Amino acid sequence: MSIVANKETKVVIMGGVAGVNAAKRMAEFSHLCGLEPSVTSFVYPPDAGKSVEIPFGSQFLSVPVYKTLAEATKEHPESNTALVYIGANRAYQGCMDALDNPSIKFVSMITEGVAEKDAKLLIRHSKKVGKLLNGPSAIGIMSAGECRLGVIGGEYNNLKLSKLHRQGSFGVITKSGGLSNEIMWMLSQFADGSTTTIGIGGDAYPCTDFVTYLEMFEKDQQTKAVVIVGEMGGDLEEKAAAWYAEKPRRIKLIGVVSGFCQESLPKGMKFGHAGAKEGQHGEGSARYKSDIMTKAGVIVPPTFGDLGSTIKQVYEDLKATGQIKEIDDVPPSQLPDLPRKVEEVIKAGDVQVQPLFKTTISDDRGEEPLYCGYAASELINKGYEIPHVIGLLWNKRLLNDKEAEVIRRIIMLSADHGPCVSGALGTIIAACAGIGLSQSVAAGLIMIGPRFGGAVTDASKYFNYGLVNYPNDIPGFLAYMKKDVGPVPGIGHRVKSVKNPDKRVEELKRCVKELGLRSPHLDYALEVEKVTTGKKDNLILNVDGCIACVLTDLGFPADSLNGFFILARTIGMIGHWIDQRREGGRLIRLYNYLVNFAVPRRREVPDKK
Amino acid sequence: MAKVLEGPAMELFNKWGIRTPRHVVISDTHQIDGLVQSNQWMRECKMVVKAHEAIGSRMKLGLVKVELDVDQAVAAAKEIMGRTIQGLTISQVIIAEMIPHQEEYYLAVKSLREGAEVLMAKFGGIEVEENWEKVTKTFVEVGETPTDEQLEKCAKEAGFSGEMVEKIRKFAFRLFECYDNEDGQYMEINPLTINPADGKLVALDAVVLLDGDARFRHPDWSFSFAPEFGRAYTDDEKQIMEIDSRVKGSVKFIEIPGGEVAMLPAGGGASVFYSDAVVALGGSLANYAEYSGDPPAWAVEALTDKICSLPGIKHIIVGGAIANFTDVKATFTGIIAGFRKAKEEGKMSGVKIWVRRGGPNEAIGLDYMRKLSDEGFDIQVFDRYTPLTDLVKFALKG
Repeated sequence: MSIVANKETKVVIMGGVAGVNAAKRMAEFSHLCGLEPSVTSFVYPPDAGKSVEIPFGSQFLSVPVYKTLAEATKEHPESNTALVYIGANRAYQGCMDALDNPSIKFVSMITEGVAEKDAKLLIRHSKKVGKLLNGPSAIGIMSAGECRLGVIGGEYNNLKLSKLHRQGSFGVITKSGGLSNEIMWMLSQFADGSTTTIGIGGDAYPCTDFVTYLEMFEKDQQTKAVVIVGEMGGDLEEKAAAWYAEKPRRIKLIGVVSGFCQESLPKGMKFGHAGAKEGQHGEGSARYKSDIMTKAGVIVPPTFGDLGSTIKQVYEDLKATGQIKEIDDVPPSQLPDLPRKVEEVIKAGDVQVQPLFKTTISDDRGEEPLYCGYAASELINKGYEIPHVIGLLWNKRLLNDKEAEVIRRIIMLSADHGPCVSGALGTIIAACAGIGLSQSVAAGLIMIGPRFGGAVTDASKYFNYGLVNYPNDIPGFLAYMKKDVGPVPGIGHRVKSVKNPDKRVEELKRCVKELGLRSPHLDYALEVEKVTTGKKDNLILNVDGCIACVLTDLGFPADSLNGFFILARTIGMIGHWIDQRREGGRLIRLYNYLVNFAVPRRREVPDKK
Repeated sequence: MAKVLEGPAMELFNKWGIRTPRHVVISDTHQIDGLVQSNQWMRECKMVVKAHEAIGSRMKLGLVKVELDVDQAVAAAKEIMGRTIQGLTISQVIIAEMIPHQEEYYLAVKSLREGAEVLMAKFGGIEVEENWEKVTKTFVEVGETPTDEQLEKCAKEAGFSGEMVEKIRKFAFRLFECYDNEDGQYMEINPLTINPADGKLVALDAVVLLDGDARFRHPDWSFSFAPEFGRAYTDDEKQIMEIDSRVKGSVKFIEIPGGEVAMLPAGGGASVFYSDAVVALGGSLANYAEYSGDPPAWAVEALTDKICSLPGIKHIIVGGAIANFTDVKATFTGIIAGFRKAKEEGKMSGVKIWVRRGGPNEAIGLDYMRKLSDEGFDIQVFDRYTPLTDLVKFALKG
């Protein structure tokens, strides 16, 4: 058996993140004990209408969130307990709602820093409606093997170590959350474990006192003894002592009080919880409380350090008189574990998972990204630049400085070509229509293809074909192209010609020669140009063709080559978008006179047949 | 509990119609001449000048000067301002009208679990302590206000008669209103007297303790709270309070000069048992500290830094129960960072560290601590199987 919380307890959690965390811990406990989940719903107005995913064994529960407690208990009428995780400035109203809700029989308030007047008004109201309100600042309630309210008990492994999957014989009431856990652990080591453990909170005015729960423990036949952990200040320990002395009690009572150190400290120096404050005339001190409890027949160990042996003694006595039978525990290894996460199982080498895809260039699983194994920061520190990163990610090779210099120049030369070309125009039209940056740049990028900027890959392919199949036979190559392909990609320009050469091409050619780079494709293309310009003045090696040859000579795969143009021209497109935004470019509409309306005149629509 | 200094306490009284002597609080002696110009009473009345700081026994320390004319008051204020007492530089002085009086009375409101108690006595000053049994009390349930009849009855029982009953009743009601509306925990007027100038009651002193947790609904509380243990907070204590006020969870720190055992335990409950254990074994505490509620690692590191800086310490007790949700690994990471910094600064020589803890990620956290011995720390690490306070025994008894 247990008190306050048991297998019938169904819980509404009021509050946000902390409440969700508690629900996860509570589901872990239900899993350990083989119980149904106890949380029915959440009340949290910002997330009303959504649901929260709570891991439960290998499943995920979907717990609905409501705007008000009334809605939650209407949808889940089995809910009989409310846990309040609402912030201190709104917790009062939340608790009042819970006390006034006919479904809710028990409220536990976890909120810390609640104003004392609010707590006092809540005490008054809870008495008026005849319900129990635990807290504020209360860690929660643990009925071993039956129900967990809140995060009390800590992490999963501690639940097992402290034998909280099954009932023992000792009840616990503490003001401190951390110590409630410690006492449950001690009871599992020095005795047979706990029945119910209650954190009542360390505030000056906890809404429910020791005596309320002592009365309940007295009636719970499973509980043979109770440990209370008090502290200086207030009069809850005095009241517990008076209750114990009032008449013979079935339960044995063990009590410890903290605050003896106060005697040797400067007057008025206050330690610990908000409620730990001494009265003006010595009442409420640790010594005063300990003396009163001892007189009342409570077993009071001299220090906290003696509590373990005191518990053991009480346990042995209860066993000797036959009130407690030793529990034959299953070894912890036979208790259910929490399902492991996939990552953990893979790490342990217990399972093999077929990957969705593989990557050979980049890895960000460590502290920083690795490009083909090289840390980005180390590349920076050793003076490498963007072309080297491109070399690593596009071609898995660390370029030498000459190669990097060529790439740097290609990007610089291709970054923009004015506002009128297809790509920039696409971006500008989108920008002026109020479209965002990434979509506007995408509008420009989709122009890149066979007619605009996209000839680089094809040029590389065909010049390479020529170099391999017609190394010393330019006319043969041109004949093949004319017959099977069409115009040679990379040859020809709308405006530029032999007399009016493209500066960008001249620059690139000069650079390759100056750096002394190997250039078989470029040389071949220039041979082709000699022949084609002989036929027509503007059939020159254009910038696409030149870039194609240079990059192919550097060993970049043909498929990657359009990437250089896309990369470089993105710089220009972003510039055009920013420029239009900054200057407030108006919506663009073509003038009619720029269109040849070669359309039929207006005519009558025939009747529909 | 949060103590409010005399000046702001009197402002709160005035807000609820409780008369106090006219007064000014100054933080700059250059203001005095201007204030004398603006306040006629300063030129006409005798005055009291007091250090406006949370220092006990101000009279003994010469920080209270009475029966001063304007020139003497100015001189006294200038003399008191800037003095350094118990390591604290006095930064505020209160100058109040001195009210000559014959009778002294006592009035207080005290918070109780079920409501509040109004206390009255027909004597004041130190006589109250000496004649505590003659103080009369009347109870008011939370959410209610005292009735005229009950206050009158209480006043009569205290020995008031004639028109004084009515005066005390009204005054007590105002004090209750102030207590109730300002989230008071304790308010006391001692002495309360009749001002011979107008025959009305006036509060010559104001003890006001407020509920700091209620600050959220009092945007007009512009004052900061004063410590209650008869000395001002040290800079290190203030820094930790400032961190405490803005992080999740809590970090607390109070210095106790001259102690040898520094405390760095977790939990508001366990921390006091650790302190008790030190005192029970004859050790001397160098501080009180506590961290709980899963505070961020950097906040625990800042706390560790202050603790390692305490002079003359021989032991640091890193104790704690089995945490419910405070992450042991994360908080220990903060403590370890603090230890390393202190060691670099040469503060850890001759200091023994004692660790005991359980809770989420306890195995990793404790392992991190154990590894500190490889870095030259003198450290002993215990897990949940060692009872909570045993390491204090190991530290002090060997």
